[in-house]
Amino acid sequence: MGPAIQVIDVVKRYPLGAGGFTAIDRLSFDIAQGEFVAIVGRSGSGKTTLLNLLAGIDRPTSGTVHVAGADLGSLSESGLAGWRGRNVGLVFQFFQLLPTLTVAENVMLPMDFARKIPIGERRDRALQLLERVGVGDQADKMPATLSGGQQQRAAIARALANDPPVLLADEPTGNLDSTTADAVLGLFDDLNADGRTIVVVTHERDIRAIVGREVTLMDGRVVADERASAGVPA
Amino acid sequence: MTGLLLVKLRRDLRATWSRLLLMVVAIAVSLTVFGGVLYGWAVMSREAGSAYMGTEPASATILFDRPIEVERMAAIVAEVRKRPQVIEATGRTQFTGEVQVNGNLRDIPLQVFVATPDDPLRVARFNVEQGSWPPSPGDIFIGRDSLTLLGVAVGDTVTVETPSGERARLRVADTVYDPSLSPSPQEQMGRGYLSTASLPTSGGRAVLDQLKIQVSDPGQASPSRDRAAVVAIAGDVGALLQREYGLAIREIQVPPPYAHPHQWQADALLGALLAGGAAAVLLSAILVANMLNGLFTQQIPQIGIMKAIGARSGDIGRLYLAMTLSVAAAATLLALAPAVLIGRALLNQVFGFLGIKATSFDAPWWVYVVILAAGLGLPPLMALGPLARASRTTVRAAIDHRGVGSDSSAATGVLARLGRIRFLDRGLLMALRNTIRRPARFLLSVGLLASAGTVFVAGVSLSAGVGAIEQEQTQRRNWDVDVQLASPASLDEVTPVLARVQGVERVEGLNTAPAGVAGTGQIPVTRTYPDQGHGRVSVTAVSAGTTTVTPPKLLEGRWLDAGETGAVVLNQITRTNTVPGVRAGDTVQLLVGGRVTTWRVVGIAEERMGGGGVYTTAEGLAAAMGQPQRVNQLRIATDAHDEQTRAAVAIAVDEALTGAGIKVGSAISVSRREAISAGHMGPIISIVLAIAIAMGVIGAIGLASTMSANVLDRTREFGVMHAIGALPKAVRRVVVAEGVFVAIASCAVAVLPAIALTALLGAGLGNLFFSAPLPYRISMPAVGIWIALVILGAILASEAAATRASRLTVREALAYL
Repeated sequence: MGPAIQVIDVVKRYPLGAGGFTAIDRLSFDIAQGEFVAIVGRSGSGKTTLLNLLAGIDRPTSGTVHVAGADLGSLSESGLAGWRGRNVGLVFQFFQLLPTLTVAENVMLPMDFARKIPIGERRDRALQLLERVGVGDQADKMPATLSGGQQQRAAIARALANDPPVLLADEPTGNLDSTTADAVLGLFDDLNADGRTIVVVTHERDIRAIVGREVTLMDGRVVADERASAGVPA
Repeated sequence: MTGLLLVKLRRDLRATWSRLLLMVVAIAVSLTVFGGVLYGWAVMSREAGSAYMGTEPASATILFDRPIEVERMAAIVAEVRKRPQVIEATGRTQFTGEVQVNGNLRDIPLQVFVATPDDPLRVARFNVEQGSWPPSPGDIFIGRDSLTLLGVAVGDTVTVETPSGERARLRVADTVYDPSLSPSPQEQMGRGYLSTASLPTSGGRAVLDQLKIQVSDPGQASPSRDRAAVVAIAGDVGALLQREYGLAIREIQVPPPYAHPHQWQADALLGALLAGGAAAVLLSAILVANMLNGLFTQQIPQIGIMKAIGARSGDIGRLYLAMTLSVAAAATLLALAPAVLIGRALLNQVFGFLGIKATSFDAPWWVYVVILAAGLGLPPLMALGPLARASRTTVRAAIDHRGVGSDSSAATGVLARLGRIRFLDRGLLMALRNTIRRPARFLLSVGLLASAGTVFVAGVSLSAGVGAIEQEQTQRRNWDVDVQLASPASLDEVTPVLARVQGVERVEGLNTAPAGVAGTGQIPVTRTYPDQGHGRVSVTAVSAGTTTVTPPKLLEGRWLDAGETGAVVLNQITRTNTVPGVRAGDTVQLLVGGRVTTWRVVGIAEERMGGGGVYTTAEGLAAAMGQPQRVNQLRIATDAHDEQTRAAVAIAVDEALTGAGIKVGSAISVSRREAISAGHMGPIISIVLAIAIAMGVIGAIGLASTMSANVLDRTREFGVMHAIGALPKAVRRVVVAEGVFVAIASCAVAVLPAIALTALLGAGLGNLFFSAPLPYRISMPAVGIWIALVILGAILASEAAATRASRLTVREALAYL
């Protein structure tokens, strides 16, 4: 079985002023299936850019990105949307639930797009997922009535809607208090225990205790890649 | 589209109902105007065509210089009917004169149409409403729309004076509906229908002086639509009558085939209104596209999320297409019933204008199809660009989206320097910068408002131009009573009689006579209709030293010199209709009183209303006719100019002249002429104003929606302003000022287009109606009203948006998605 994520000699350069700005600089690494990886680093180190490349939101200036068996560079925008719906669950810092759909409907929407789950099973699955992340009782409420932590749990449930093999999260606890943040990270840990590959971009200093691997970026390059089990740089 | 997207659509519609309502109103208003006019136009075309052609109008009327006996006319008719392309022929006559009802003189003249009792009315027919043709000897039928005008009813007795000078007392036996004529009230003339059996002939035989023929194209059985072909055939018949029967032909009247006397005005008016309605629909569709663009822009973060969780461009496109179609469908449904009502109301006006009784007010099916197609099709079509852009938004673009663009345009760069000026209000400066922050939206908003303002000002200015013609006429009319003598008299004979009438201050005389104008050796051909009022040409002999005839504006050549002979001035309408291409210096023939005379054209005048079309001097006409100078028209100035004095003097003058043995055709106050003029111009003015008002409504909605969209776009920005300490009052002031800046900019942009459009429409409509451009007038009240309206509208529209902006909490604004 190959790696879940493969980044090969990727460069991402933004045309800013004279010469541009290199956000990711000749980056290469693999993430194995079922790994729980934290990408850490200071602001401007390239963490979010890397996550966007993994999600197919951005395209590299050069190099290739393979995620869940797909070469993202070969997919069109529409192809990327379909691929994301089936293979990747995205979690954002500001939750980004659609305000005019209920919590359950927000979770069901990716199932509608991907058409992977039979129509009759979609609501039950959404309720199960919401139950699993601990907000089953909020299913029929509008997002605006939920607390930040509840909204983030709902957003995680939405990310799981199509049972994607890869979960990508951008500062998922950045907008939460520490207790709620711990609970959310615990949730990710549970999901990883199911065998799901999880990549989390975060500032959390305590995440090393939960994740299996911590990749530290600086100026778009990997300056440290530590695995919890080995405890030594890769 | 998935079920959940439908749920989202429904909730989005509910969440943005106020903006969507504005879109619906904008489309509904314009579609109502467009649909109403289309409805009216379709029904009018069908009904007017069938009503007018149902009278089997003559293709041409050949006027003999002298009447001939009925029997001789019958022989001529039989001969003419054998000629190729002549499908029908009949002999008729008509005259116009004073009328008494039950012994009381009316100040409205009666136009009487006469046919023989055995005339089968296969051509130039009219509908006798209760009984049938012919009336019994001693009876007369009266046009239905003349009853109120004349104050006459079936059973009354009317007394008319025939061309032979005899008085005929006739019983009103029935009414007639005659859709071939323009309505009596507009022409201020009653209509009567007689058989020759009702005319006193003093022992002689009844006479007729008109040969009416219907002409077809070769091998066809229906009347020709080709006026040139009709003129050719009628000319051949005229030549035959001159050659074979020794008849002098005064004139051949060939009105435009298949067209009611007022048809082209109605067509032009409805066409103009339809164009205005279509422009309003187009403007509203552009406005809706603009508003939808704002709505889609507002939804970009949500589009990004949907894309991030697997939505394809097609899913997003279908969602917003459904939203657009919902707006279009609601507006179309809303517009349909009012459009039908407006169409029917318009038809009442138009049929009144045409004097037509419609058989049905129901529109053909295609009218509904066009309205539905315009209402449902145009908004999605115009929104296609924004829709495609929105649906193709990538997740990256959505993440980068920050509402209003943060890039500085060149214009804001210039405005940035204004910040260096001390004491300049920071709030106003911010508003000014925000106004042009998104140049495309700014230009669209300004363009939309400027378009509406342009049409509004041009529309009202057009009314001012039309009003100026009437004012010009009224100002030139420096007399109070018009007297038409039954036969010419010497002014020296008339003046002493009138000098004794109380209230008469000054008397001037003119001689006017029906005339035919033709090139050398040709029979005069005119476009005159049977009512003799539309397209009629007459020569006016102007006395030296007259104060009541002001020389009109000359397009070429010169005005008449005092006392000169052999010289005429034609107006441009007569030239176009009779001798197109003639210029000052050319020679024409006039046929007046059976005499063909040759004249030199010394000038071409420009006249928009009134005037017989040919002017010469009193000396010139007298010399040409070989008669002493005489007058048949008197213009009397009274010592007071109120209607009561004018009416009293008119009656007194009539009695005094009659008492002196001078027969009077009619003596009426000039106010009556103004009524005729108003009857023609009234519908034009109201319709032009209707276009302007519809455009104004669209513009106002455009402004309101733009302001609303501007505020929604910058929700986060307002949150930031609150966060850094802006008071709600300050936020409100910035937003209102932005609206006012847009309004002022639109007024500035509209100046040149308004000037150009006024000139363009004035030239187009003026040439259409009067063969000359309308007097150029920019209505300053319209300019003032529009500026006031647009600024007031900007304040009101911005106020709602400003209130929303000022009440936003920091949390609401920053959490805005």
